[in-house]
Amino acid sequence: MQLFDEKIEAMLEQVQKAPRYTGGEMNAVRKDWDSVALHYGFCFPDTYEVGMSHLGMKILYGLVNREPDQLCERFFMPWTDMKALMEQENVPLFSTESRRPMADFDLLGFTLQYEMSYTNILAMLKLGRVPLHREERRRDDPVVVAGGPCAFNPEPLADFIDAFMIGDGEEVTLQLTAAVRDWKPTGAPREVLLRTLAAIPGVYVPAFYDVAYNADGTVASVTPNDPAAPAAVKKCVVTDLDSAYYPREFPVPYTEVVFDRIMLEIMRGCTRGCRFCQAGMLYRPVRERSLETLRSLARDLEKATGYEEISLSSLSSGDYSCLPELIRALMKDLEKERVSISLPSLRIDSVLKESLEETQKVRKTSLTFAPEAGTQRLRDVINKGVTEADLMEKVTDAFSSGWSAVKLYFMIGLPTETDEDLDGIADLAAKVVRCYFSVPKEKRAKGLRVTVSTSSFVPKPVTPFQWEPQDTLEELKRKQAYLKEKLRAVKGVNFNYHTPELSFLEACFSRGDRRLGRVLEAAVNRGCILDGWSDLFSFENWMAAFADAGLDPAWYAYRRRGEDEVMPWEHIDSGITRRFLRHELEKAQRAETTRDCRHGCNGCGLNQWKGVCAYANPGHV
Amino acid sequence: MRILATFEKQERLRHIGHLDIMRAMQRALRRSGLPVSYSKGFNPHILLTFASALSVGAASTCEIMEVSLDEPVEPGVFMARMNEALPPEMQLTGARAVDERRPAAMALVRAARYDIRLPEDATRTLGAAIPGFLAQAEIITDRKTKSGVKPCDIRPLIHALEMRENHLLAELALTETLSCKPAMLLTALCAFTGIPEPRAMVTRTRLLGETEAGAIVPLEEL
Ligand code: SF4
Repeated sequence: MQLFDEKIEAMLEQVQKAPRYTGGEMNAVRKDWDSVALHYGFCFPDTYEVGMSHLGMKILYGLVNREPDQLCERFFMPWTDMKALMEQENVPLFSTESRRPMADFDLLGFTLQYEMSYTNILAMLKLGRVPLHREERRRDDPVVVAGGPCAFNPEPLADFIDAFMIGDGEEVTLQLTAAVRDWKPTGAPREVLLRTLAAIPGVYVPAFYDVAYNADGTVASVTPNDPAAPAAVKKCVVTDLDSAYYPREFPVPYTEVVFDRIMLEIMRGCTRGCRFCQAGMLYRPVRERSLETLRSLARDLEKATGYEEISLSSLSSGDYSCLPELIRALMKDLEKERVSISLPSLRIDSVLKESLEETQKVRKTSLTFAPEAGTQRLRDVINKGVTEADLMEKVTDAFSSGWSAVKLYFMIGLPTETDEDLDGIADLAAKVVRCYFSVPKEKRAKGLRVTVSTSSFVPKPVTPFQWEPQDTLEELKRKQAYLKEKLRAVKGVNFNYHTPELSFLEACFSRGDRRLGRVLEAAVNRGCILDGWSDLFSFENWMAAFADAGLDPAWYAYRRRGEDEVMPWEHIDSGITRRFLRHELEKAQRAETTRDCRHGCNGCGLNQWKGVCAYANPGHV
Repeated sequence: MRILATFEKQERLRHIGHLDIMRAMQRALRRSGLPVSYSKGFNPHILLTFASALSVGAASTCEIMEVSLDEPVEPGVFMARMNEALPPEMQLTGARAVDERRPAAMALVRAARYDIRLPEDATRTLGAAIPGFLAQAEIITDRKTKSGVKPCDIRPLIHALEMRENHLLAELALTETLSCKPAMLLTALCAFTGIPEPRAMVTRTRLLGETEAGAIVPLEEL
């Protein structure tokens, strides 16, 4: 029994969705607190339902708990009702497993999946009574680290995080936990530990870097102030994914979560080179797990979880080199267990007809296509190597094999976009509808549902568009209204779109600098938390937070970066060179495409990293 | 073959709803690798039934489930395999084979016993009020139904009631048509006594069924 257990029980009786906080799931770890030397708190800065759907959590949770002298427990962002009760009852944020207060842990690791979760990190630290600023933390306070895609521009969080893990976490996490474990009993000051961490490849310790600014507010330089800190922190790459750790069991929630199924990461990375896509650049190079490994993982995970569904996960599952064989093998292996297989991110240009027919035997969900832009010109600009003919062929296949629900994803506000490109979106939607009716009645399923979904383009670090301005809010709203009007004329089509204000804030933080830490703090103080949940999002409070910090969000989102401007993340080395990105931007401006680099290296920069990319041509410059 | 098993739902899991517990049990059956039977038809599901849905917020030491198997399995083996596949807070406490022609346990439930743990300060007042409370000709309290709140007389539904230390022990009717939930009892008792409703920790301790001779016995022994 923990100190706060009775109070927690009383609070759980009053909140909505208490199972978010109760734990006790199958496969949740139950290690004795005193039996281990290191206590790691894995922190997901969003609700339980979102966090429990996250693959990275499952990997790290299993990885750390496999170590006999370490344990890993989970923390999630409590919902507002629970948060208010915790504040009122003076109960600190506690772990899901043993209900230990956050501050009892040696090491806390946050995952950075999206910018709008940053304030949740601050809120969780506050609720956990962990000093918010890294500078205020004493020897016995937890060491706070963070990793994930957003760590490639860590600067907005640099005031709050002791160390960032850049790149793949499988190997570096255990180096980090070991370093903390070994430092703990020595009695040496925190700085000694930070130096050890800074020397681990892939670890960025912001305390050891000074940022200087130009008179116009742009970053002048980011320079190390300690000999332990490298001038640039190179990302970690797991070169052999097949032998990398992957969990063979993970906690199975009682309540339904967003992705309530086995997730099998079949490969990492993507070679397509879409110019808006940050993940496509960050997770390079492409690496696959072997058929045999995947079959064995799938069998073990089915046995350990009892799930009835497996989804094959990756940025572009259709590109897996032997996808039809894999699907056939998994179906055969798991037929007796009645497991269905789903492919979440179908690409319309993958050779999937055969696979489609096979998955259909098991389960028919709505099919998703992401042409991203409405005209061929704009698709060429963003290097989305997909043609209208491709789309129509795949949609026809889908309709004639019994699907009737199709979702089409587009982005608005892409560089060089005009109203003609928006017309193109409406046009494509109309063609998809017509395509359905051209399939003979007896062959197609009833109940056509076409959904057009748009998000607003956000320029991201480490993409060719990192220099580009975002469309203004007014312009994005005008475009949404324009498209809505156009789509009204197309029968059978639903239109939905993201809140552009959220995209605007994302644009500020994704390419923001260290000064934005002040905005995050002001925002939390104004109650900006759980902003991914539209009913809690208050744009006014965010604008007030920017004003509190004396910073102008428009300057961050709308400004075109100079060709030679130092980016706030210049000291983080993703392996992708600035030169390559700039070259890609120039090609985009000419609407010139770049080939899939599986068919020939494009010299993104990783080709200079020895033995990292299997497709690399080291001579390419 | 059909297996009847008893299992517990410990306090930690008391907020997990009935359907979620059902699903967790189905997944455990899948993990166990036991030869469970599936329904026929387009969307096959495991043939699993629970004797009675337990309210959210309550723990239990005596839940009952029945499951059909395609091949015979020793009840002891069934229990051992299931307990490996279940979390420690949801273990089986017994299993036995039952005649397939027997009506489902669900149809045989008549009543349930509850242990309602109360804060010390409320127990004396409530305990003292029990004789007067039970002496009433009728006890009208609100019953929440799908169509709204309806007043209902729970006096005939209270089979036994006593306070032992800080535990209110109750045996309440539980059938498909007539039942009294521990929360309803507590509301009525507090209203009668004139004190605000205290926090209560409800544990179901027994499901009871009726023999052909009309005797009330633990359901798992039927
Ligand atoms: S090194 Fe060449 S092949 Fe490898 S990811 Fe970069 S461009 Fe593609």
